Amino acid sequence: MVRARMGKYTLIITEKPDAAQRIASALDVKGKAKKLEDNGVPYYVAKRDKDIVVVPALGHLYTVAEERSGRSYYPVFSFKWVPRYAAERGAKQIRTWLETISKLAKDAERFIDACDYDIEGSIIGYCILKYACGDKDGISKRMKYSTLTEEELEKSYAEPLPHLDFTLIEAGRTRHEVDWLYGVNLSRALTIAARDWSGKYATLSTGRVQGPTLRFLVAREKAFRSFVPTPYWEIKAEVEMNGSVFEAEYEEERIEIKSKADAVLNACKGKDGQVEKVDIRQLRQMPPIPFDLGALQREAYGLFGYTPRRTSNIAQRLYLEALISYPRTSSQKLPPAINYKAILKNLSKASEYKKLTAELLTKPELKPKEGKKEDPAHPAIYPTGNLPERVLDASERKVWDLIVRRFMAVFGESAIRQSMKVCINVNGHHFYLRGRRTLKEGWLHFHEPYVRSEEVLLPPIEEGQTINIRKVSLEDKFTKPPPRYNPSSLLKRMEEKGIGTKATRANIIQTLYDRKYVRDERMVVTDLGFEVLEVLEKYCPTVVSIKFTSELEERMDKIQTNSEKRENVLVDAVEILKPVIEELKDKEKTIGEQLSNAIKKARLEERIIGACPVCGTGKLMILYSRKTGKRFVGCTNYFKGLCKTSFPLLQKGTVRPLGKNCRGCGWPTVHVRIRGKRSWTLCFNPECPLKEERRKRIEMRNMQ
Amino acid sequence: MKCVICNREDCENGYCELHRKAYESIVKKYEVWKKVLEISWKEYLSEIIKNPLTGEWAKEVAVYLIESGEK
Repeated sequence: MVRARMGKYTLIITEKPDAAQRIASALDVKGKAKKLEDNGVPYYVAKRDKDIVVVPALGHLYTVAEERSGRSYYPVFSFKWVPRYAAERGAKQIRTWLETISKLAKDAERFIDACDYDIEGSIIGYCILKYACGDKDGISKRMKYSTLTEEELEKSYAEPLPHLDFTLIEAGRTRHEVDWLYGVNLSRALTIAARDWSGKYATLSTGRVQGPTLRFLVAREKAFRSFVPTPYWEIKAEVEMNGSVFEAEYEEERIEIKSKADAVLNACKGKDGQVEKVDIRQLRQMPPIPFDLGALQREAYGLFGYTPRRTSNIAQRLYLEALISYPRTSSQKLPPAINYKAILKNLSKASEYKKLTAELLTKPELKPKEGKKEDPAHPAIYPTGNLPERVLDASERKVWDLIVRRFMAVFGESAIRQSMKVCINVNGHHFYLRGRRTLKEGWLHFHEPYVRSEEVLLPPIEEGQTINIRKVSLEDKFTKPPPRYNPSSLLKRMEEKGIGTKATRANIIQTLYDRKYVRDERMVVTDLGFEVLEVLEKYCPTVVSIKFTSELEERMDKIQTNSEKRENVLVDAVEILKPVIEELKDKEKTIGEQLSNAIKKARLEERIIGACPVCGTGKLMILYSRKTGKRFVGCTNYFKGLCKTSFPLLQKGTVRPLGKNCRGCGWPTVHVRIRGKRSWTLCFNPECPLKEERRKRIEMRNMQ
Repeated sequence: MKCVICNREDCENGYCELHRKAYESIVKKYEVWKKVLEISWKEYLSEIIKNPLTGEWAKEVAVYLIESGEK
């Protein structure tokens, strides 16, 4: 280890290895910090007036755990903070990591916490300084920065905060401890109940935020599955002007009585119209506000179909490469201190932004449009102005480009749109023809191609003008069910209701998928999801109460501002939890039976591929031979003696029903994945036209 | 008592909580259908079974109501 050859140094702790490298390079006089390793743990030595050692963490190195060991009991109310390797399987690497940090701490004379400046980062740094460095939390300084650019890192090193942010740490510790108490006790209650009833193990989980989130989904699913549509009618008129045809809408958007709709249709058929009024208005469309994490996740989902977690991971990578500012922010503000001009000037070095940035740089003043939300720790997400040092992959490129264009758009002028509403009288009935066009592009121009403004250009029309009505038609319509949530709309709902934090929401949504409580992009609640929520609502309604969860969130936030005490929040949380756990323990058998049946059903459902195309009434399912244990696909009607359809299946790899039918023949399909090979979709129809096409293609290729 | 449709326990009037909600929705919406299309209960049930926008539980209840002749 190199420390033996060095004198006393400053030890800087970072959250991730990438950040350590960036910080060390930024602080080294030559801009090239030396990378060293101890037992496979990387750390960096930066040379300047005094040596600096920068050592990274690997995210959280410490976690909350019960004082007593064992996983199969509850309730658990006594806990302590321990190294992750002591509490989690598969965290062995953490032991060597902590040993290296402890060794490096021995010869350090100054300590600086440079983890991300938020709740999670503050706890990571605090735990390392307290436990691995030997109670150095009291003497450590804190680097605060929002980007990993050289200038900002240099400044935050030169002017560190004099001590750690202890209120932020208190708030974070409380959040982790409360979440642990709820998560461990409730999840164990469910898992143990199901295991003791069925003798089989399946992980079931719930928590302080997961339960109420599942509740949103179940409420929507119930409304969706119980929905009965009602009929209504829409009337449209085809209007011909200057050789072009336009569609005009009837004055009543919905007509709920068929006879009334028929009467309007009969009255208007074959009649000309007369323009009664032309209403032209100009609308000012304000520029968008800068991205906070939630808004970026929603936009990336809408534009690229990325899940909130994927967007969050991509943004984290872009941040670690110093391309964007810290993404886990709820701020919608861009303070002038970030230096708008410098960022735009740097961005102008990229050919695709050259023209747009030049336009903005000619403005006498750059003033961003901002939203209301503030975050004391970080500004809204913005590009640092640095250009990528490597070729970004397609998804990284898209998210970065979106952030750059949004940043430029917030400095744009308002767009001016013109709307034209023409009222046409057809035999006493009014139809409206609507036109829209952009008079001044303003900010829209900077946000292309991520913003589309629909243009409907109408020819010049005058009041009193006679209009040729080509056709009047009646359309049968039905009311639609409330849409199922998707990951993006669910995230928005969680934000609105104040449950979870910007750092945890995306992971909670993913957990619901991992536990098989929901499936598909349009989130469908599974039977298991229904049963888990039913148990929670029946035996512990408080923990799935949205009001309770958001109130607890508020109290935890107050710790951050010193207006609430950590001890009070913890005591109250345990007081609420105790009777809940007692009730669950009391009803363990009933709950176990209910959950076991749901798990059994869910496991069976996972093996169903789709409707049997041969008999039409059975279902094709992955089955296992009693004799050989080998898997195959068979029809469920076989057991009733009605259908003998069966197909062989590969014995290697995983086979997952796709839930989609083959585009060539309409038979159900599965997705096959074998380690080390490219995965593929398999259709069971031996006469599938796609198979024939493929065979012919291969034959042709071989002949050539 | 078990639900006449899904065999779940804890039923009221023959339906579990989930199918009861669907049944109530069917009964409530019939008033609208009757007013706008002047159709009978049976015709209404057949229409909602055919409709792709009808929820899964509502369809199950409608099929049961037709088969059992109950209202």
